[in-house]
Amino acid sequence: MQILIVEDELALMESMVSYLEMEGFKCEQATSYHDGLCALDKHDYLCMLFDLNLPDGDGLDLVKLAKENQNSSGIVIISARNELEERVKGLELGADDYLVKPFHLSELVARIHSVARRTRTQGEEIMSFGLIRVMPEERKCFVEEKPVDLTRKEMDLLLYLMANRNRVITKESIADFLWGEYGGGYGSYDFIYTHLKNLRRKLMEVDCPDYVQNIYGVGYKFSLE
Amino acid sequence: MKLLTKTTLYFATLSLFLFFIMGIIFFQVLKNISLSELNREMAEIREAVDLQLDKEWATRPPRIIGIDSLTIQLVSASSTMEEKYGDTLMIDPESDQFKTYRYLEYFQKLEEGNVKVRIYKSTTPTDKLVEQVTLMMTMMVILFLSGVFFMNRFVFANLWKDFFEALEKLRKFDTVKEPVVLGDQDIEEFKELKAVLEKMTRRLSSDYKELREYTDHTTHELQTPLAVIKTKIELLLQSENLGPDEMQLIQSINTSVDHLSRLNSTLALITRIENQQFPEKNEIHLVRLVDHHLEMLQELIEIRNISVVRSYKDTHRTICMDQGLADVMITNLLKNAIVHNVDGGKITLDISSEAFTIGNEGPQLEFGEEELFRKFVRSRSNKGSFGLGLSLVKKICEAYGIGHSYSYVDNQHLFTFTLSC
Repeated sequence: MQILIVEDELALMESMVSYLEMEGFKCEQATSYHDGLCALDKHDYLCMLFDLNLPDGDGLDLVKLAKENQNSSGIVIISARNELEERVKGLELGADDYLVKPFHLSELVARIHSVARRTRTQGEEIMSFGLIRVMPEERKCFVEEKPVDLTRKEMDLLLYLMANRNRVITKESIADFLWGEYGGGYGSYDFIYTHLKNLRRKLMEVDCPDYVQNIYGVGYKFSLE
Repeated sequence: MKLLTKTTLYFATLSLFLFFIMGIIFFQVLKNISLSELNREMAEIREAVDLQLDKEWATRPPRIIGIDSLTIQLVSASSTMEEKYGDTLMIDPESDQFKTYRYLEYFQKLEEGNVKVRIYKSTTPTDKLVEQVTLMMTMMVILFLSGVFFMNRFVFANLWKDFFEALEKLRKFDTVKEPVVLGDQDIEEFKELKAVLEKMTRRLSSDYKELREYTDHTTHELQTPLAVIKTKIELLLQSENLGPDEMQLIQSINTSVDHLSRLNSTLALITRIENQQFPEKNEIHLVRLVDHHLEMLQELIEIRNISVVRSYKDTHRTICMDQGLADVMITNLLKNAIVHNVDGGKITLDISSEAFTIGNEGPQLEFGEEELFRKFVRSRSNKGSFGLGLSLVKKICEAYGIGHSYSYVDNQHLFTFTLSC
């Protein structure tokens, strides 16, 4: 569960490392192009995170090299630049995802999980949480062998909650994850509530305990407690 | 009104007025001269008539050269008066037509009594003369005026050539492009104008460039600290020992940071459009574009119970622009139409070969129409938006020469975009 992070902004690096370690990941840190280059061969990484604007080099070159060296690792670009060409270039060079700064840590974790799923596992992976078992590739959900019929958005939401289990997840991060550019501010929190209500209802209909906790208007927490 | 037209108009009005006055005076003077000449001639004739006048006048009238007609009649002794000049109409024996004649009437004492003598002289030759001279003068005036007019045009075009050149360059001047450089001038005023204009546009260009760079850097540099704040907040939220009050505090910080970061990225986008950093152009299928974004926003539309009325007259219309900007433009318009709609309202979408129109129901604007596309203009009831969406749309339209207009018809806000390319 090693993750390589190449990021020159130390405060941001610290945040990412803290959060990812809470999630049980081990992090290899590199604060420059040079360090990143050295770290590429150190481990067999589950996922690699690259900032593009490094003081001594272009993160895109690292992406290219990383793709050549470790084909089975997921690559996520973290950049302050939200430009289509930049995005396309990064993805063409072999990145699996592109996250624009500023981002939510919970979203980062969800993306890492999703990228890791795509690049690592051969065959169907099963994610489980309490009584819930999800097959993300086939988009199927079971509660103790009983199938639960979820819409696309509900499934995404469930996967997001499961990826960030036991964490406080803000409403903003859910909105950004589910709708991206289309969400943003006005009204989008209303349908997070709607989707979440439907998801909880569907799970509880098949006798699944309610794992979702409401956290004082901040957001939600998905936990067994 | 053009400068040349205006000058010509002033000149023409003044000269026509002056020539008119002068013409009247000239005509009068000429007329008086010819009249007094005629009178003088008749006075001479009178002397000749008087010499030949005797008591035999009835059988032997005086024979005088240069006289058109002569009447002599006997009058009673008491009727005497001064000599008098006058005008009258008489039939001309040659042409059988009435002609004007000048006459001199006077009384002469003869042995057998008083006679009244009238000497007539045709005014036709002098009238003709006055007529000819007036005609000549008028023609001269016309010739003179048209000469001056054409010379004016020529001189004007030549003298003001540099001025018009400068004007044209100024018209094309764009703060994004280089400052205006004008050709050398030999007229003092134009030299000054050139210096002032060049200095001004140089200043404008550099100011604009600096501002752009500043905005560009600021928005970009803000992203990282924002990312740090955001992630730190998220970490803070994970602490075990936070009470509801602390959570509320963190949440309000979070909301503000979120607001700030979205504001920043929108401003960054506007700056990049202004900097013309979207040189790429793709053929974009308009109907497909609109339908795609409509689908992505379906939930938003459903939750407010809004119905969408689509009338696509030209389903193959394409527009030529950057894909990313086209997405931004349509999403912003659709979001705008959803957010400012009424619950259970409707959105109308209209695509023809000339224009794309999007309409939504809603109460009248709280501000002027011209404010609508400006930055940070929003209705009071909408706390969540910054009022940047439409100004972003406007910037995109300007970048691609798409015309945009707004109207309010039957409770509907209509945004029309005229497509040219």
